[in-house]
Amino acid sequence: MNMMTPNETGFADLLKNGQTLKQFRDGIIERTQKTGHYNGLEKLELRDADPIGYEKLFSKLRGGLVHARETAKKIAASPIVEQEGELCFTLYNAVGDCVLTSTGIIIHVGTMGAAIKYMIENNWEANPGINPGDMFTNNDCSIGNVHPCDIATIVPIFWEDRLIGWVGGVTHVIDTGAVTPGSMSTGQTQRFGDGYMITCRKTGVNDTPLRDWLHESQRSVRTPKYWILDEKTRIAGCHMIRELVEEVIRADGIEAYEKFAYEVIEEGRRGLQSRIKAMTLPGKYRKVSFVDVPYKHEDVQVSNAFAKLDSIMHSPCEMTIKGDGKWRLDFEGASRWGWHTFNAHQVAFTSGIWVMMCQTLVPTQRINDGAYFATEFRLPKGTWCNPDDRRTGHAYAWHFLVSGWAALWRGLSQAYFSRGYLEEVNAGNANTSNWLQGGGINQDGEIHAVNSFEASSCGTGACAVKDGLNHAAAIWNPEGDMGDIEIWEMAEPLLYMGRNVKANSGGYGKYRGGCGFETLRMVWNAQDWTMFFMGNGFMNSDWGLMGGYPSATGYRFEAHKTGLERRIANGESLPLGGDIDPSAPTYEHNIDATAQVKRDKQCMTTEDCYANHDLYLNYLRGGPGFGDPIDREPAAIEKDLNERFLLPEYAGKVYGAVFSQDAKGTYTVDAAKTRARRAEMRKERLARAVPVREWMKEERERILNKHASTAVQHMFATSFALSEKFTKQFKDFWNLPADWMVSEDELGVPSYGSKHRMDLSLMPDVTTVVQVEE
Amino acid sequence: MTIDNSSVQVLGIDAGGTMTDTFFVRADGRFVVGKAQSNPGDESLAIYNSSVDALAHWGREVDEVYPELVTCVYSGTAMLNRVLMRKGLDVGLICNRGFEQVHSMGRALQSYLGYALEDRIHLNTHRYDEPLVPVSRTRGVTERTDVQGKVVIPLREAEVRSAVKELVDAGSKAIVICFLQSHKNGSSEQRARDIAKEELKKLGVDIPVFASVDYYPQRKESHRMNTTILEAYGAEPSRQTLKKVSDRFKKHGAKFDLRVMATHGGTISWKAKELARTIVSGPIGGVIGSRLLGEALGDENIACSDIGGTSFDVALITKGSFAIKSDPDMARLVLSLPLVAMDSVGAGAGSFVRLDPYSKSIKLGPDSAGYRVGTCWPESGLETVSVSDCHVVLGYLNPNNFLGGAIKLDVQRARDHIKAQIADPLGLSVEDAAAGVIELLDLTLSEYLRANISAKGYNPAEFTCFSYGGAGPVHTYGYTEGVGFKDVVVPAWAAGFSAFGCACADFEYRYDKSVDLGVAQLASDADKAAACRTLQDAWSELAGKVIEEFVINGFKAEDVMLIPGYKMQYMGQLNDLEIISPVPTAQSAADWDKIVEAFENTYGRVYASSARSPELGFSATGAIMRGTVATQKPVLPEDPDCGPTPPPEARIGTRPFYRHKKWVDAVIWKMEALKAGNHIVGPAIIESDATTFVVPDGFETTIDKHRLFHLKEVR
Repeated sequence: MNMMTPNETGFADLLKNGQTLKQFRDGIIERTQKTGHYNGLEKLELRDADPIGYEKLFSKLRGGLVHARETAKKIAASPIVEQEGELCFTLYNAVGDCVLTSTGIIIHVGTMGAAIKYMIENNWEANPGINPGDMFTNNDCSIGNVHPCDIATIVPIFWEDRLIGWVGGVTHVIDTGAVTPGSMSTGQTQRFGDGYMITCRKTGVNDTPLRDWLHESQRSVRTPKYWILDEKTRIAGCHMIRELVEEVIRADGIEAYEKFAYEVIEEGRRGLQSRIKAMTLPGKYRKVSFVDVPYKHEDVQVSNAFAKLDSIMHSPCEMTIKGDGKWRLDFEGASRWGWHTFNAHQVAFTSGIWVMMCQTLVPTQRINDGAYFATEFRLPKGTWCNPDDRRTGHAYAWHFLVSGWAALWRGLSQAYFSRGYLEEVNAGNANTSNWLQGGGINQDGEIHAVNSFEASSCGTGACAVKDGLNHAAAIWNPEGDMGDIEIWEMAEPLLYMGRNVKANSGGYGKYRGGCGFETLRMVWNAQDWTMFFMGNGFMNSDWGLMGGYPSATGYRFEAHKTGLERRIANGESLPLGGDIDPSAPTYEHNIDATAQVKRDKQCMTTEDCYANHDLYLNYLRGGPGFGDPIDREPAAIEKDLNERFLLPEYAGKVYGAVFSQDAKGTYTVDAAKTRARRAEMRKERLARAVPVREWMKEERERILNKHASTAVQHMFATSFALSEKFTKQFKDFWNLPADWMVSEDELGVPSYGSKHRMDLSLMPDVTTVVQVEE
Repeated sequence: MTIDNSSVQVLGIDAGGTMTDTFFVRADGRFVVGKAQSNPGDESLAIYNSSVDALAHWGREVDEVYPELVTCVYSGTAMLNRVLMRKGLDVGLICNRGFEQVHSMGRALQSYLGYALEDRIHLNTHRYDEPLVPVSRTRGVTERTDVQGKVVIPLREAEVRSAVKELVDAGSKAIVICFLQSHKNGSSEQRARDIAKEELKKLGVDIPVFASVDYYPQRKESHRMNTTILEAYGAEPSRQTLKKVSDRFKKHGAKFDLRVMATHGGTISWKAKELARTIVSGPIGGVIGSRLLGEALGDENIACSDIGGTSFDVALITKGSFAIKSDPDMARLVLSLPLVAMDSVGAGAGSFVRLDPYSKSIKLGPDSAGYRVGTCWPESGLETVSVSDCHVVLGYLNPNNFLGGAIKLDVQRARDHIKAQIADPLGLSVEDAAAGVIELLDLTLSEYLRANISAKGYNPAEFTCFSYGGAGPVHTYGYTEGVGFKDVVVPAWAAGFSAFGCACADFEYRYDKSVDLGVAQLASDADKAAACRTLQDAWSELAGKVIEEFVINGFKAEDVMLIPGYKMQYMGQLNDLEIISPVPTAQSAADWDKIVEAFENTYGRVYASSARSPELGFSATGAIMRGTVATQKPVLPEDPDCGPTPPPEARIGTRPFYRHKKWVDAVIWKMEALKAGNHIVGPAIIESDATTFVVPDGFETTIDKHRLFHLKEVR
C-alpha cells in the first residue's frame, strides 16, 4: 500500500512562485483547454518579436540534443543501442511537456513526460523530494512506458534553485529480468512476470547513482554488464544536455529560455495542424487491422490456464480530418487487452505514434508535445490500447502497435493520395518481426540474453509511384539497419549459415512492397541455450492499398538433432543460404532425415531448448504492395525474377507474366504475351465476381449462424462487450436482429478477466495521469 | 649544398571535379596558385595547364620548374567519381556460400547515408544505389569460420575452382574474395586466394585476385567487403590515371616520385598496394596544412574549419595529432579505411535559404547553389535565395569583383528575392532578414564547432581555430565570435589551402589489424605480459607491411620511423578509442599498465570520468602501425615586419556594410598589398581574387610574417 502521513506532504516551492508543480500544471491544462492554444499562447511573443533569436535558441538546443545522443551512444555495449541507435534524449519543461527531442526513437517524445507528470500528480516534490543533482529511473508500463525494456533516466534541471525543466534519456536494454530472457519476451502473461519494474524511483543524488540501486538493479537482470553501460550512457547524455541548457540560459537569459520552452510547444501544435491541412483531404477515413495471438499451441508454455487460448487483436480506426487541419483518432471498437505481453498503455499511442508520423506527415526536427496537443485521441478504457486492469503485461506492446498503426498509415496514405501527394503514399508497414530472442550460457560461459535487432530492417510499404524498399526500416525506426554479421556473432552464440532477401515476402502490386530478408542460424558454442519466436504467422497485420497485396505472413522453421556436426566433418551437403521456396523446402534435404523439424505458422512460442548444431530461421517480414499486380511493368517483374525476389510460380499466377528462362538461368518476360494473358485474367476475374450485395447476403447468413472460428468470435465478443457504439454499428451494417449477440462465456474458451478488473487508479494514494478521451 | 631561394621545391595538386588547382612553393616560402578546368579524360593535361597558369605569375616555364621540384603530392576526385558513376572494373566476388546476396543487399543504413537529418527520418526518400558487384557475378563457396577464429566448416576447395571458372566466364576482370570472420583467422580466405590464382593460371587468364585479409583485416564484413571490392573496382583504373600523370611529369623533366594524398592523412606512392584509400583526399589536405602551420606557430591544439559551398567541415588536432575514424562511409558505402576524422554539417556559404511553409522557420540547405552562386547572378537561372545573396545585399561581397570580376552580381535582384521569400513573410526589413540568415548560419556553425570540441573533452580556450576554404574568411568572425578560441587564424592563401596542405603531408603508410585481447582489471602479470606479446606480434606483422611499401619506393628499412598505436575499449563495449602507444614495444605487465592508463585518460576526457568502467576489464581491439620517412615540406614565407600601418596603396576605398541593424562604411583593402605587421581595425573587408576576408566592427586583425591573419574580438 502506498501510505503516507499527512505531515510528509510538505510544500517545496520548487517553482518559487508559491505553486506546487501540480497547481502549475493544472493552470497550463486549463489555459490550453480554454483557448485551444498550448498554455493559452494565442500569440508567440518571443518568436514574433525576434524570429531570428527564437531560431537561434531552437538551433542551439536541438543541435545539443542530437550531439549528446551521438556522443553518449558510444559508451554503450549493447548492439541495440550502439548499432541500432535505440536511444533517445528529450528535453521537457517544468510540467513534463516535451520541448524538443533528439533523433533516435521519437516515440519517447512523451513517455518520459508521462513519468514526470506522474511524479507531479503524486507529489514527489514532498517525498522523495526533487533536488538538483537527483536522478529518477522509470520503466513502469502502467504509467506510460511502452514496454519494460525501455529504461528511462530522468534528471531535473534547476536554475538558481528553481525547477525549470527536465531532461530524460531512454535506452532499450537487452534484458529486463522477465520470466524469460530477451527484452521483449513472451513467456509471461502479466506485469508480475514482465521483469524488473521501476516506478519513478529516485536512483541518484548529487549526480551519483545510489549504491542500493546499483546492486539491486544489476542483479535483477540477466545481463548486468549491458545494463550498467546503458545506464552510464543515459546519465552522461542527460548531464550533457543539462549543461547545455544552463549554457543557453547564461547566454540568452532565463526569461527567453522559459518563454521558448512553452512557445515552442504551441508552435509544434500549429506546425502539425498546418501540415495536415496542406497534405491531406478532410474527411473521415476508416481502416482496420488485426493480428494473431495463437496461445493455445503447445509451444506456448505459460503458467496460467486462463491464458491458453487463440485470440486476435482488433484495431478499427476512424481518422477524422477537419477543414482547419485538426484531427481526431478514434479507436472505438478495439478488442480488450489480454493475458499476454502485447497490451499498450495510452501513452504508447499518444507519444509513440509520432515515431511513425515523423516518417511521413511531419518529417521534421520540430517535433514535440505540440503534436499531441494538435491531436484528439479517443482510446476507450478497457481496450488493448488503454487497459483497465493493473495486471496487464506489456513486454512486446509493439506486436499490437505495429499492426494497429498499419491501418493508420493506410488511412493517411489515402488522404495524401486524395490530395495528389502520390510520392508520400505508403501502403503500410511490415509486421516488424520475427524477433529472435533467447538466452542461457553463451560462448564466454556467462549468463546471457539475446534479442536480435535484424527486425529493424523489414521491407517497407510500396509507394504510389515506386516499389517499397527491401529490408530497410521499421515502423518504429525509419533509420533501420540489420547490422553486420560479425557484430551479431559476437553478441549471440549463433553461427550464420545464410543471409539473403526473402523472395515473395513483399506484397504484390503494381508497385510491390519491399521484400524482407532471412538469416539461418546454427547454435554454436553455447552451453545451455534457449530460443523462441515472436511475430505474426496466421494473419496479415498489413493489407496493401488500392489492390496491392499484403506482405507474406510469417512461418517458423527450427530443426533439432540435425546431424550437422557429422555432416560437416564428412563433407556432406549442408543447409546454407535461403529457405527460398517454403512450399518446396530444401533445408530438410541437407540435414539428417531423422532430424526433428518444426515448420509451421506458429510464430509465437516460448523458451525452448536448443543444442549446438540446431537450426533457427530468422525471417524478417516484407512490406505491403500498392495497386493491381497485373498493372506491373513486365521489366520490373523480369528484374525481380532475376534478382530472386519473386518465385516464378507467382510471376505467372499473380502478375500474369509470361516468361522463359535460358540455359544460364536468366529470365525474360515476354511483354506481348503478358499483355494477352492479363486480358484473359481480367475476363476470369469478371466471371468470378459477384455483386457486393449478394456477397453480403451470404456473409450475413454466416454471421447469423455464428459461422466463424472461435478466435474471430472471441475478438468481436470483447469489442462488443466494451463498446455499445461499435456493437450498434456492426449490427446496423449487417442488418442483424436486435437480440443477436456474441459473448465470451458462450465460446467455451477461458474468459478470466472478462468481467472483473481493477484499474491502477483504484489503488489508494495513486493518481494516474489520463491524457486521452476514454 | 646551397639553396637558390628562387628555386621551386614543392608542388601540391588538388584535382577537383570542376577545377584543378596547383600550388607551387619556392625555397623562400613564396607561393603561387594556378587554376585550370579539370579534364576527366586526361587529368595530366589539366595539371599541366594549371601549372602553366601558376608559374606565369613568376614568369617561369613548366620545363624549367618541374626538374627543380623535390616533392609533389596529388589529391583528386578521380577515384571517388569512378565509384559514384559506377565506372569501374567488372569485378567477380567469391564469398561464403549462403551469403551471395549480402553485398547487393547492402546495409540498410546505406539507403539513407549522406542524407540530411530530416530526410533520414523521411522514409519515402530513402533509396539504395546499384551494388558495385551484381549477384550475377557473385559465387558462394562452402566455408565458415566462427567469431573466435575457429574453422567450423572447412573450405570446400573444389567449389573455389568452379567459382573462379564461372566468374571468368561471366566476364570478371578481377576477383575479390571475402569470407566472414577472415579478419580473425584468414587461413580459409588465403587458401581460396591461392587456389583462385592457380586456377586462373590454368585457365590462362591474367586478372588480379584481392583477398580482404590481405588488404583490410578488420571486423565488420560489409565494410571490409566494400573496401576490398573498391580496391579491385576503382583502384587499378585509378592507378592507370596516376601513371599517366607521373609519365607527363617525367616527360617534362621531373625527377620526383609522385605521391598521392590518402585518407589516413599521409601520402602514399601511386605504386602502393592499397589505392582505395585515395578515394577522398582534398578536404584532408586542409587538416594536414593546419598541423604544419600549427607547428610553425607553436600551437598543438587546432580546430580546423573549412567552409565550402555546401558544407562545413570540422577536424580537431590535439597535441599535434588528428583523430582517425576506422569505419567511415563514403560514396554512400560503409568502408573499412582509416580516415582523418572530420565532422560535417550540411550548411555552407552557398546553401539555399527557405522558409518552412508550415512553421515559417528559416531552413538552410541541405542543397546549395554551388557554382551558380545565387539569384544575385542573373545568368544562374536561380530563383531561390542563397546565403551568398544575403552577403551581397549586406555589402560583404563585392558584386563587381566576384571571382576576380569573372562574373558580375546584381544586388537589386538578390534584394527582390530576399524581400519576397524571406523578409516580408517574417515581417522584417530586407537587411534584417539577410543579416538574420547570416547570423543563424554562423550560429549553427559555431555551435557545431563548439560541440565538436567539447564532445572530445576539450575547452575552446585551449585551441587555435584555422579558417579556410573559398568562403571561409567571410564567415570566420561569425562562427568564432564568443566561442573563446585562443587565436583565430586565416591564411592569405585560404582558397588554395587544401592543395597547400597536401604538399605538407608526410610520406606515411599506415596498416591496421583487428586483434581481440581481453584482460581483466586486476589480471595477473602473466596475463598482462601475454596480452602484450599478442599486441607486439601484430605490430611486428604490420611493421613488415609498412616497410615493404617503402622498399617498393627505394627506401631502406632503417629510414622508416615507426609509430605503433592501438584501439581499446572497456570489455563488452562496441566503440573503441584510438591511442598512440605510450610504449615503443609491448612486452611486460608494466607496459600493459601504461597502455591501459593512456586509454583511461583519453576515455575520461572524451566521455566524462563517471563513464569510466575499469571494473569491466579492458580489451584491445586493433593494432595500428604507422611509418614515415622524411620529405621536403613547403617552407613558410618569412616577411620583414613593416609596422602596423598598411601601405596607402593597399586601401581600395569603402563600401556600405550592414550588421547589427545599421549600415556603416567598411574600408576595403587589397590583400596582396598588405605587409607583415599591418594592423586593421573593423569595419573592414580585405579582398583578393579568390577570397574575401570580413573584419566587422568589434574585430581587428594583424597579418604576421607568414602571411597569416590573426583575427581578434575587441572588447
